[in-house]
Amino acid sequence: MLQIIKNEWRFLVRSHLFFGISITFIFILILSVFLGNYETQKQKQSRKNAKNHIRQQWEKIDQLNPHSAAHYGTYIFKPSNLLSSLDEGVNSVTGNVLRVEGHVQNEITYSGASQIQSISRFGSLKSSLLLQYIVPLLLIFLAFNSVSNEKQSGRLKLLVLQGAKPFQIIFSKTVAVWLYGLSLLILVLVFYGILNIHNFTVEILIRSTLFLVAYTLYYFIVSGLTVFFSTRWQNATLALTSMISIWIFWTIFLPNILMSSAEKWHPLPSRYEFKLAMKKDRSKGLDGHNPSDKRAIDLKIKVLKEYGVDHLSALPINFDGMRMQADEEYGNSVWDKHFGNNRKLLKKQKKTFQLGGVLSPFISLQNTSMGFMANDNLHHQEFLLQVERYRRVFIKTLNDKQTYGGSKTGNWGWKEDNAFFKSVPDFKHIPTKIGLVFSNYILDLVLLAFWFIIVLILIILGAKKIQIV
Amino acid sequence: MRGLDIFLFEWKHFVRSPFKIIALLLFTVACIYGLDNGADLYEKQNSEIEKLNFISNQKKETIVAYFENGKKGPQNRPRVNITKPYWAIKNVPRYHYKNPSPAIVYNIGKTEQYGFYKSITTSSSPYDTDMAKEIANPERIQSGTLDFSFVVLYLVPLLLLVLIYDIKGAEEEQGFLPLIFVQTGSKNWWILSRAVFYFILLLLVLFVLMLYGALLTDVFTVANAFWNIFLCITGYLMFWFVIYFLILKYGKSTVSNTIQMMGFWVLFVFIIPAAIQQWVSIEKPTNLMIDIIDVKRDKTSDIYDQSTQLKDKQLFNLYPSLKSTEIAKDSILIKGARRSSIIALVNEAMKEAIAKIESDHQTKNEIIVNTYWFNPVTYSQNKLNQFSKTHFNDYESYREDIQKSVDKRIKIMVLDIWNNVKVDKAKYLSYFEILN
Repeated sequence: MLQIIKNEWRFLVRSHLFFGISITFIFILILSVFLGNYETQKQKQSRKNAKNHIRQQWEKIDQLNPHSAAHYGTYIFKPSNLLSSLDEGVNSVTGNVLRVEGHVQNEITYSGASQIQSISRFGSLKSSLLLQYIVPLLLIFLAFNSVSNEKQSGRLKLLVLQGAKPFQIIFSKTVAVWLYGLSLLILVLVFYGILNIHNFTVEILIRSTLFLVAYTLYYFIVSGLTVFFSTRWQNATLALTSMISIWIFWTIFLPNILMSSAEKWHPLPSRYEFKLAMKKDRSKGLDGHNPSDKRAIDLKIKVLKEYGVDHLSALPINFDGMRMQADEEYGNSVWDKHFGNNRKLLKKQKKTFQLGGVLSPFISLQNTSMGFMANDNLHHQEFLLQVERYRRVFIKTLNDKQTYGGSKTGNWGWKEDNAFFKSVPDFKHIPTKIGLVFSNYILDLVLLAFWFIIVLILIILGAKKIQIV
Repeated sequence: MRGLDIFLFEWKHFVRSPFKIIALLLFTVACIYGLDNGADLYEKQNSEIEKLNFISNQKKETIVAYFENGKKGPQNRPRVNITKPYWAIKNVPRYHYKNPSPAIVYNIGKTEQYGFYKSITTSSSPYDTDMAKEIANPERIQSGTLDFSFVVLYLVPLLLLVLIYDIKGAEEEQGFLPLIFVQTGSKNWWILSRAVFYFILLLLVLFVLMLYGALLTDVFTVANAFWNIFLCITGYLMFWFVIYFLILKYGKSTVSNTIQMMGFWVLFVFIIPAAIQQWVSIEKPTNLMIDIIDVKRDKTSDIYDQSTQLKDKQLFNLYPSLKSTEIAKDSILIKGARRSSIIALVNEAMKEAIAKIESDHQTKNEIIVNTYWFNPVTYSQNKLNQFSKTHFNDYESYREDIQKSVDKRIKIMVLDIWNNVKVDKAKYLSYFEILN
């Protein structure tokens, strides 16, 4: 078997066309890793500058009422992720800036895609684009006539007469082509590793290994299926066109149709409906800025009772801050309910799309690729949740200062000094660990493994039914 | 064999090729699905706009009722006094819409990257957070909606490939190519006639599908949209036809022709647009809108902290007629008028910041436009976006209109405050008319 693989490689290397294409493609692959990395570094720097600029503005606050500071708020910039130089996932469409302030949970805005006219429907020239779309095509071109050529030239008969079993021949040819894809994949990862040697962590290593596993399985599926067609069809053209049709169906046709359908089957509310529902629920709670609000009065009675006093002025604390915080907490529960519903719907859409992997292993590859590179919607939602958690701590810190910082109810002119504002912690993004989200990708990996087995079975069947003469 | 005979013969060839018929059927299904997606979006946006107009009118009726009942505003908000221009204009409901073009049925374009309605107040800006796009799955937006233009731009070249890949190659492999050349006389004419058959077939299918799309929305109400889009699609199809024809003409076998065709498809659909996108994002990274943030925070507080003389000077520069008003001469009343008018100065600062950002966008777009000559897919996509009013420039105009609407609202408010205008029902309704 090893000998057949070696021979296959010898043939491949001897072909000038193949050699030329390979060299060009390797150059493009390396360039894509380099450019992706350069872009990520540039993004990192610009986000760091923006973050420092905003933090400086915050730390420059000299004298301000804490609740006014909550309205002044801050901005969070979506940090760029080292792995996005391999697969940027949804980053170009999700927005980059999130305003954090009191009373309101804003949405992330200013996506890269909204700042330019249409360019590429498949994203920028990242390694993932080449590894997902182009490498499989190369594998198809390498494999489509691997067996049919042998049949036509009579070499297959010769090989069998020499003692090689048909399964060994077909499997070896599959492995030979698959190894070509695998070496391109390893080349990308090694080059990426060299460029980021100083930032390499165990987390990145695990994620890259999983990335490698997913692509490895997919390349075997493509190589194996093409060799199978080459075995079954007498005509190499038929094998090529069949496989290209399958490739089109898997990569262009099905993912788009399924994704659009998943959104139709589990529809998200329109922005108008969503805001209306939020507003309706919010109106059932307490209005922090309206002291005559019924629920605010109830809270006042409760607090006065707790402190055993008759008037707000007799309270040792500032009731305004407490009312604001109560308003916040009610708002938080409304946000949890409505955004939680949206997240559930997004999860359902994702699950439906993942199941599409039964029909197209490309769907599973795409999901795992951007997931393992921490740039899918799941990781984006995790980032948004972290920001919301920070917002709650940030606003509570300010409201608590208003309440317990020494001012009295109604004293809106009371201000905190610069030292307090400097002490308010800045947002720190904690990248999501793969261990916490891995379960979400098990289905994709299982489906890739399922396809791997199917292709293996096809190769075995193909070997049994192969016509040697 | 004359051209017409070759043409008719190709029809027979086509109907006897289940592979080609299935490909065409699949393509048609995808087109219908894409057209329905476009029509759905059109319906959805229009129904949202209707709802918002209803809400807007309801709000207007509430304010009118205050005037009719001699009230100055809602009971629980004693500060509100709708007889003052400041509060009256604040309470003129106004949504600015990016009305969907019926041609959206063919091409969704950049629609899903932006919001399509915006509530306008005196403190609005075209870069407010409520300009965010509709709630959608980012993974779906990233892969793009399967609309008619997607099918045309990405699948038409593949379908054409499937239909013509074996022209000449199949005959050559079966060994009767010399016989055909003898019969037809001209090799090129024979290949061309056969290929043209599929070109016309595809064009006809696309035309019929476009007519189906026209049934879903009133495309013909938009001047030339239908014909412009059809022309653009024809040009695009022609581009691929020429490339494939040249490959067939000079190609040696079906396999090598197919590989070359796929190679061109990969080059034009994936490599070139993706490389340009990568280049643009390196050359001009995503703008994080720091200029706008600065205006919202530091610049606004700087404006409020300015001396009264400087504020007056800036306001009089902006609206020269304010200087001659009675309020300008009243040292007490001017304070309130000035306070309510500061928003105009903030708006000017915001416009300066926005101009920088729009210019940044423009630079990026110029880079893209300069690549059109070797980037036909992006060129065609943007042409279709223009015809369906879903181009980046259409949303830029939308933002400009929002800004104009804000400017107008601020101007009326400031002038009426300084002219001490008393607002009654008629005046309020005139505000509503002017601002809508």
